[in-house]
Amino acid sequence: MHLGMSITPFGHHPAAWRTGRSVEAIGFNRLAAQVAKAQAGNLAFVLLADRFGQRPLHDLSPEAVPFEPTTLAAALATASRQIGIIASAATSQHEPYNIARRFASLDAISAGRSGWNLVVSAEALARDKEYVEVVSGLWDSWEEDAFICDKAAGRFFVPHKMHVLDHRGEHFTVRGPLNVNRSPQGKPVIAHKLTLPTFEIAAQYAEVIFIDAPSPEKANGLVAAFARRLHHYGRDRSDVKILADVVIYPGATSAGAQELRDSLDAMAGHVQWSNALQLVGDTREIADRMQQWTQAGIVDGFTILPCLVPESVHALVDHIVPELDRRGLLQRSDEGFTLRDHLGLRKPQHPASQVVA
Amino acid sequence: MSAGRSMKLGAFLMAGGHHIAAWRHPLAVADAGADIAHFIALAQIAEAAKFDMIFIEDAAAIRERNANIASQASRSTMFEPLSLLAALAVNTSHIGLVATASTTYNEPYGLARTLASIDNLSRGRAGWNLVTSASELEAENFVSSGLRPHAQRYERAEEFVGAAIATWDSVDAGAYVVDGGIYADPSGLHPVDHLGTHFTVHGLLDSPRSPQGRPVMVQAGASDAGKNLAARTADVVFTAAQTLQEAQEYYGDLKSRMPAFGRNPDDLKILPGVLPIVGRTESEARQKYAELQELIPDEVGVALLASYLSIKDLSQYPLDGPLPAMPQTDGIQSRQQLIIDLGRRENLSIRQLARHFAGSRGHWQIIGTPTQIADELEERFRAKAADGFNIMGAYFPAGLEDFISLVIPELCRRGLFRKNYEGRTLRENLGIKIPAHGA
Repeated sequence: MHLGMSITPFGHHPAAWRTGRSVEAIGFNRLAAQVAKAQAGNLAFVLLADRFGQRPLHDLSPEAVPFEPTTLAAALATASRQIGIIASAATSQHEPYNIARRFASLDAISAGRSGWNLVVSAEALARDKEYVEVVSGLWDSWEEDAFICDKAAGRFFVPHKMHVLDHRGEHFTVRGPLNVNRSPQGKPVIAHKLTLPTFEIAAQYAEVIFIDAPSPEKANGLVAAFARRLHHYGRDRSDVKILADVVIYPGATSAGAQELRDSLDAMAGHVQWSNALQLVGDTREIADRMQQWTQAGIVDGFTILPCLVPESVHALVDHIVPELDRRGLLQRSDEGFTLRDHLGLRKPQHPASQVVA
Repeated sequence: MSAGRSMKLGAFLMAGGHHIAAWRHPLAVADAGADIAHFIALAQIAEAAKFDMIFIEDAAAIRERNANIASQASRSTMFEPLSLLAALAVNTSHIGLVATASTTYNEPYGLARTLASIDNLSRGRAGWNLVTSASELEAENFVSSGLRPHAQRYERAEEFVGAAIATWDSVDAGAYVVDGGIYADPSGLHPVDHLGTHFTVHGLLDSPRSPQGRPVMVQAGASDAGKNLAARTADVVFTAAQTLQEAQEYYGDLKSRMPAFGRNPDDLKILPGVLPIVGRTESEARQKYAELQELIPDEVGVALLASYLSIKDLSQYPLDGPLPAMPQTDGIQSRQQLIIDLGRRENLSIRQLARHFAGSRGHWQIIGTPTQIADELEERFRAKAADGFNIMGAYFPAGLEDFISLVIPELCRRGLFRKNYEGRTLRENLGIKIPAHGA
């Protein structure tokens, strides 16, 4: 089972900020403390979501990070040393050359721990497909051993190990090469939140798939359909990690957990705010449900959405993770260095080096 | 400090160093463009020396089309500046952090938001060096085919700045409350409603207002349109000026344009770039310079010169002959003129000009003892030619460390540079007011 955690200033529940929180929570230090806690729990990654363009102006509910995610990711990368950092960025907001640079740079800053949560536009999927191809192609601008830095000979890189993309497509014309070195992990990991309109782009390019499913039956249907599209594009189910979003309401007792949820729902004035799985219970109960999901082979793990920060983060790392570990359910992420290592994802080889091999 | 007015100093960082052959120097970190620990160390060294800011330049492309020539220099790859600054922001506490970003290849809301994010990560120390991107290699990386004409780039930049400022001003200080059931105070939120020629922006900044109001605006434009944009909107101007007279003319011209825009000339700091090569004796400094010059391949120097002149190829002309007659192009017009003037004035051949410009890349260089360097800096500072300088270390970290250990103490002795930071934000340290809201 792979575990990641989505970072928010107050918690994922819409009423979390109403529970006696302060404005301190939207500062960098509190967010970095959450990441440090997640790292101490050997989680594979933190996810920095973005509400950019997703909400009307008058709705300021604090569900996303109060920083632009890629810059926050760079700052967090230097304040952590092991955990992966997946940042959201929308294709509608950046030119492909700029996004390719940003994430290649993040991968260098984090020494191979970065991921791009690809946010696409449902109404421009053909453009977005070309967009991802351009970004991925730009990430192949340099072979891994291109930079020899030979001071005596005056040769900084091997000229034929630089590859000019020269992309000329319907939506983009991009010469390249990228002006950032090849990523430490080959290419940054591409993650994507699966929705029906984005099935095809996800099946072709994404390596980490986030799904929202309230029940195992719903998840099963979604994953089976997705696996068929993967095969269609010559990819295997094992080439991707499918992680279910899960909101946790942990308590010392079942009753305490239920009370927490009820009080939050009452403050929010509504109960249905997410399609994600909601787990309410004590440590054993939450671990049981997670075990059922992964042992049924539906998903490869979870992205934890703590209902309340930092309390639920502490419960996760101090109680739930150790319980899952005792049961032998966790993939250790403290052995590798890169996000790909943590998730068991293959490191992409450069096309030129594949030919030689 | 004796005089009240003190120099503002920027540490202009570049992967291996500013000298084109810097990476080959035995003391340079050759693969610095991918080494975050190196950049964090440089920022911390500059901060310990009380520099006002570090400065990162940028182009959204590699810088040389010919792979053979490019492969002999270290400038093809580098961290992307905004992610680099964000990483430096949380590893420093007082120094300003200025990155370059293009108004031609970004959108105003997204860039304003990203800069606001860095401004908040650094608690009010971010700056934006606005460029309009003149290179063909950059143009070829974006949908837009071909380089946009100079006037059109500046027209877009003018509108871009307005939309970016409106975005930064969309949130008042303290608008995010998070108390007593109130998340944000609606009276402190002013959604952007910009409908212009180049952009439509409807949005609200989703982060708190920066402790310094908004990022410090830096520019380098020296064309007429560039000077007007700077006189109207810039807090800091970074320039290339070879001689004292050129520097004075530029300084006087730019500051005299400010009152027309309702601004006080003191609210804009002009920092010429300078590449100092410091030695304990003059001959030691000359020897250091000669060592670096020896490392420049002619191919690289001539290609660099051609790119500054915005012409495709110089290699067809005799290396030891003068520059050919040059047409005006849509590239960076000011630097082009500066090179042509220097060539004529000192009767330099292509090879000599190439060597000269490969070193400082068009900027002023001073080779000498700490006293000689301090004398030259003081002269320009007192003669209304500069408010301070952007210090371009020839190679890193040693070129910066030499300036810090040898020249800064001399500047401090003369009362020309601070011993301690005045404040915590970049605006406080530069002595530039937080802009009036909505101004």
